[in-house]
Amino acid sequence: MKGDPGSDVPHGDTLLAFADAALGGDKAVLDRAREAVRLAVGDAGLSDAAAVIGGFDGITRIAEATGIPLEPEKAAQTADFFGALDIGRFRRAKT
Amino acid sequence: MRSALETAQNEAWRRLGLPGTWWTGQERLAIAQECRAATGCAFCATRAAALSPLTVAGRHDVAEPSLPAAAIEAIHRIRTDPGRLGETWFLTLRAAGLGEAPYVELVSVVAVTVAIDTFRRGSGLPPLPLPAAEPGAPSRRRPTGAKPGLGFVATLAPEDRTEADPDLYRDHPGPRRRVGANIHRALSLVPNSMIHWWDVLEELYQSGPQMRDYGVDYRAIGHAQIELLAARVAALNRCEY
Repeated sequence: MKGDPGSDVPHGDTLLAFADAALGGDKAVLDRAREAVRLAVGDAGLSDAAAVIGGFDGITRIAEATGIPLEPEKAAQTADFFGALDIGRFRRAKT
Repeated sequence: MRSALETAQNEAWRRLGLPGTWWTGQERLAIAQECRAATGCAFCATRAAALSPLTVAGRHDVAEPSLPAAAIEAIHRIRTDPGRLGETWFLTLRAAGLGEAPYVELVSVVAVTVAIDTFRRGSGLPPLPLPAAEPGAPSRRRPTGAKPGLGFVATLAPEDRTEADPDLYRDHPGPRRRVGANIHRALSLVPNSMIHWWDVLEELYQSGPQMRDYGVDYRAIGHAQIELLAARVAALNRCEY
């Protein structure tokens, strides 16, 4: 993603590239990203990583299509990075 | 693939072809097929790339013409441009004749289809063929305790569930596994759709209790790795929740 700050999570950069590729349209990029994840976390880790990506590709659509709001207590807890990352721009784009 | 994950995947896929609450099994499979076809829709591609989807006129490339036009529009937008869905758009679907509860069930079918297709693509597995449709009429039962006001659609809060409603929040055996967060409530207007979705998500991702049990890794990647992936997909899909 543009302006990606990277990650301190173990194999984080490899996993982020895998998520980007799994939702992208380039099969060759996805094939390379998949093999990188397999080398990093093994076959079982690859399967579980792909499962999380699939699950969130579905649940984000549920959240957006039903218009559910973030709970007030969660919004308060995340207000600092919500603002820092300008996540409100997502709301401004809605039609 | 973990055996529990494979079982959950296969069961969720099988349920796509069962009669739902508001759509027949055949119609549910048409929704799933249209969801798959939407990724190749030229109109959707143009609209998704536009500064505002409202500035682009056109027609969808339709795979399942038996579905109502409002359902086609809902499926395509949810599949190809989920981050810009607003209540104004939802109300245009309602005005075009798509019922509130049928819309919720449609969302669940799209979500299950997308989740499993994306999982298999990421894993390097071929897409599953759609299952056979099973005969039967939709039950058409709306929970009596459902109330409007949370999002675009009415929802059934845990405290408003009656004995006539399925155990959608997994109250039994207690303690409640699905605590009743807003994301749990999103599909609750159609309890069986809510159950369909969460039964598979809890294997693709983790159940609520597993998610909060930071001392134990329930998957072959750790909690931080799981949440990193989840956050990335949410950002890619421009999901505010």
